[in-house]
Amino acid sequence: MFAEAAKSLRSQHERLSELDSVAGDGDHGTTMLRVAEQLEHAVDPSSSKNLQSILRDTGWSVMGVDGGASSAILGTFFAGMADAVMGEDSMDGHELAAAFEAGLRAVSRQTKAQPGDKTMMDALVPAVNALRLADSASKTIPDAVEEAASAARSGAGSTKDLVARYGRSKFLGEKTRGYPDPGATSIALLFSGFSAALATERKS
Amino acid sequence: MRMKKFINDPKHLVEELLDGLVLAFPEKVRLAGGNIVARTVPKSSDKVRLVTLGGSGHEPGLSGFVGEGMLDCSVAGGIFAAPGAPGCIEAIRSACAGGSSALLIVLNHAGDVLSANITMEAALREGCKVKMVLTHEDISSGPNPEERRGLVGFLPVYKVAGAAAEQGASLDACLEIALRMERNMRTLAVAVRTATHPSTGQPIFELGDDEMEIGMGQHGEAGTGRGKLKTADETAEIMLNMLLDDLCVTAGEDLLVILNGAGATTLMELLILFRRVAHILKARKIRLVRSAVGEFITTQEQAGFQLLIARMDPELVKLWDAPANTPFFVKP
Repeated sequence: MFAEAAKSLRSQHERLSELDSVAGDGDHGTTMLRVAEQLEHAVDPSSSKNLQSILRDTGWSVMGVDGGASSAILGTFFAGMADAVMGEDSMDGHELAAAFEAGLRAVSRQTKAQPGDKTMMDALVPAVNALRLADSASKTIPDAVEEAASAARSGAGSTKDLVARYGRSKFLGEKTRGYPDPGATSIALLFSGFSAALATERKS
Repeated sequence: MRMKKFINDPKHLVEELLDGLVLAFPEKVRLAGGNIVARTVPKSSDKVRLVTLGGSGHEPGLSGFVGEGMLDCSVAGGIFAAPGAPGCIEAIRSACAGGSSALLIVLNHAGDVLSANITMEAALREGCKVKMVLTHEDISSGPNPEERRGLVGFLPVYKVAGAAAEQGASLDACLEIALRMERNMRTLAVAVRTATHPSTGQPIFELGDDEMEIGMGQHGEAGTGRGKLKTADETAEIMLNMLLDDLCVTAGEDLLVILNGAGATTLMELLILFRRVAHILKARKIRLVRSAVGEFITTQEQAGFQLLIARMDPELVKLWDAPANTPFFVKP
């Protein structure tokens, strides 16, 4: 899953930097490339690490990217997921939704940003909600993650009409309208990657 | 326009600039891990350690102020980007080793505060004795102090808290000094020309040839007033009056004034501006008791400056005057 997410981020990093140059300093794509590198290192098939350690280590190595708020938020998200995962090696849909919710809770503890502020939260919150709803409706994991990815994409898309109200770009006000938020776009790419990975698994 | 900078592979900017810093001032600073700059000779473990964190590309801020009388250690982030929490936790852990305590000084910017909060949570869980102070003195980002950015005000905070720590003050006493300095200072910035991001080669904001923007932040964040370029005297007067109003300064009070060049504004211009500031203060019977003019935090080749005023009491003046020996701030 992490490998596909990394691929998805890599494929769009130039566009992410372009979006960031509207509202920020134009380096979001570079940051996400470095996050992608950490995701690729996350799963070492030769290691005997359990899921909890994989998520925790990935979270902390993403936080270590030194890419400002975006890498801190994503790293916090993965490390937060680890807190909800016990020593097990696989998860059912219910546990998966609980883990993503724990990740979101960890992020919410660190930032006051809310959906509507034109940040990563505009994609992350709907994605996690969609996952929970799909699980309640007893959908399969690949279907649930696909719904989360689709919710993240439309969440990210909705930021186009918003004016930034949080982080560095809030100081740019109206100038940020008309372009989707780069951070939210990255979250959508991440979930699309997760979903693509599960779809491939299902086919094989 | 093509970027004209003396750099190598943009991927290695931070690593190379930190290398250069410790090679240029080996008797003062050394690298303690990837992006942590520490004192070459650490202070004794019974004294409070001062730690800071922040993005790179703003030299000499922030790592240029590590040294006797100021910081013990600085964690450098990427270009204009906060360092991640793991490096910051490592810095606090070594600062607190051997029973020492640490004061973490953080400039109020979203990414920095995020990493700082994650760091504080982890460090306190590990049993480190650490407290944090946030600097937020930029009056252009609204009346709510929580929304105000941290600009050059880190300098007097490092200076007075660093001096207190050097004299053996407790963690609570250092925190009190830092907070007193922080509450009594205000900064306003102005930009007249953009800078290029050294990694991407792109301008970080657009500004017309004949324009200036009062209140612009360290990374091109929009300010409160974009207008036609004015003279040094007019600009100094507008900005100083806004600062004096915000800090509610009255005749007879003692002020510290810091004039910080953004990178491409010449010392000639800074001195001409400072002259006007001093004249206005004199006319309003406000005492200019201490001052500093130069480059303390920059944004590449951005042209503009930051003007800081701070209300001083006798203790703060004494701490400001105490010795300091860092790469870019020295007091005999």
